[in-house]
Amino acid sequence: MNAQTLELGLRAAGIILTGLVVANFVAAKRFGYARNLAGAEVMVRQIFHVHCAYIIGIIAALAVLCLGWPQLLLEDRMGRVFCGFFGLFWGSWVVVQLTYYDHEARRQDRAWDVFFLGVFAVLSAVFTLAALVK
Amino acid sequence: MKELLQIGLQIGGWSLVGLSIGSFWIPKALGWREKLAGLTPLMRELWWTYSIYVWASHVFFAVLTLGFGDWLMGGSGSAMAMGTFMLLWWSVRLWLQFFGFDLSEIGESTSNRVAKHLLTALFVGLVVLFAGLLGWNVGWLNEGGLG
Repeated sequence: MNAQTLELGLRAAGIILTGLVVANFVAAKRFGYARNLAGAEVMVRQIFHVHCAYIIGIIAALAVLCLGWPQLLLEDRMGRVFCGFFGLFWGSWVVVQLTYYDHEARRQDRAWDVFFLGVFAVLSAVFTLAALVK
Repeated sequence: MKELLQIGLQIGGWSLVGLSIGSFWIPKALGWREKLAGLTPLMRELWWTYSIYVWASHVFFAVLTLGFGDWLMGGSGSAMAMGTFMLLWWSVRLWLQFFGFDLSEIGESTSNRVAKHLLTALFVGLVVLFAGLLGWNVGWLNEGGLG
């Protein structure tokens, strides 16, 4: 696998990541974040929103990097370290979804559950390959 | 200036290690488990998942700051991008500390007050550090620049 293929893979990952940013807003509506948090204490609501925003921020920044400057992730050792981190980041999300998220909620939206498992697995594969392949 | 930034990166890195270790006490100190009991299982799981990923990002920043300082100061495009990202991250966190979080629910004990001031000092320090790093990488603070 050459650098050009990896760059193409990272650009494709950038498109997927942009979709994930949008999906986070759809999920907020679909799972009724505001309604579910309405009865919770102010601190609980605020911390949830802040952590959610930071996660979206990470995904958005990574999307910008992959779409605009994928070569930065391939040009030196640190780029590979980043790719390794994000390979783990997305791989661990597959594990979280399979082992931790509420089984009943997943069963009710099986198609989306499988879709997002696929998305996270693909992202993990792309970044892991970018980290490992010379 | 270079030596100052190198020392700053070591202090910042170890402070992030301290923050990452100290974060294990936050759920207990703020009673997260009890406060989350009223949420649906999925919301609780999302809460813990997001919290752990944010914590993992702090660990990653600590590793970068302590182990890859030379790279962060090297002026490459990726180093500048990462430095800018961390500057934005901690600037937003500092803004939240003053204007975002409603801390009225947290008890006014001495330990809570000390923790709050320590966190504020840490966020100010990290913003100054990563702003300095950005200044260094764009050439404002190194030889031939303002410094």
